[in-house]
Amino acid sequence: MSGIDENAVFERVMRPHLERLHRLAWRLTGSKAEAEDLLQELLIKAYDKIDQLLRIEEPGSWLSRVMYNLFVDNHRRFKRQRMRMVDEGQLPGGIADLPGTENPEKDQQRLQQMESLDAALSQLSDEHRLVVLLHDTEGYKLTEIQELTGLPVGTVKSRLHRARARLKDLLIADGTFS
Amino acid sequence: MNEQHDKQLLDLLRDYPAPDAPAGFYDQAIARAAEQSIKRQRKRWLLTGFGSAVAASLAIWVMSGVLFTTPSLPQAEATIPGITMALEEPRTVNLVFASANALDGATLTVLLPDGIELAGFPGQKEISWETSLAAGKNRLPLKLIALTPAGGEILARLQHNDRDREFRLRIDVS
Repeated sequence: MSGIDENAVFERVMRPHLERLHRLAWRLTGSKAEAEDLLQELLIKAYDKIDQLLRIEEPGSWLSRVMYNLFVDNHRRFKRQRMRMVDEGQLPGGIADLPGTENPEKDQQRLQQMESLDAALSQLSDEHRLVVLLHDTEGYKLTEIQELTGLPVGTVKSRLHRARARLKDLLIADGTFS
Repeated sequence: MNEQHDKQLLDLLRDYPAPDAPAGFYDQAIARAAEQSIKRQRKRWLLTGFGSAVAASLAIWVMSGVLFTTPSLPQAEATIPGITMALEEPRTVNLVFASANALDGATLTVLLPDGIELAGFPGQKEISWETSLAAGKNRLPLKLIALTPAGGEILARLQHNDRDREFRLRIDVS
């Protein structure tokens, strides 16, 4: 260990992963407050395991897995939140704050598409939504999702396929895709 | 058409936003994690000592001594045990107190020499806990970090009412 105290070492180890972990927490919970709580819970757990963390080759994967397990273990929270996509009546991802372009009309169209996607995602099962968001939005590989969730790759693939198909159907049905 | 929809969907999903954490959240979360860990460490220590009896006096406070467990390391002096630490590598030293009776309201103070810190207490030379001792052995793990090669002596003082006892541990840094 090269840090001069435990806090500094902990911060050095954790800092590069925080943004990704926050996004994962958000994808899992669909709630700003719950995502922050989950990340905080993870950090507290990780602090006590700093020695173990330092020996791990890929701490990011380990941390993601611990976060997922924390989320799943908290069954009541899982059931209560059901990974809902709307937090306190507001669209989750700051959709209205999407980066604009030089073309306001196109921006407006994109915003509407995102709102439609948001509505379509909310109609998926928790399991399907998580897989599609992790893979297609967050860029997790199938094997990373397998590692994270403990599901066989075949199951992950199947859920991904079904989730995409369902999303397409919904977006066609509401006229987003013509 | 299907391929076009696939592409459109993937484009949308790729851009599907997630909110940024509030400003300062990561700093606060890290600080809270450290605080929580320290609190739990203290609580664990406090919980070890909750006995029902109130100590009447130090006459029955029989300390069989403080054993700084230093596996495989010889004591440099008969009365002052010692350990050797590597520079900037945390090492946990267990303070073991043996008490004949449960004692409430004791204060444990650890005094650190220059260059030695207790994990979670950066820059502090004196750390005190109010604590209770259970009858029998009470163990307090201290995670030490040597910041300089100077080493020195750690002093642990246990106080109860108007009595106190002091115990020392020599630290060598390699």
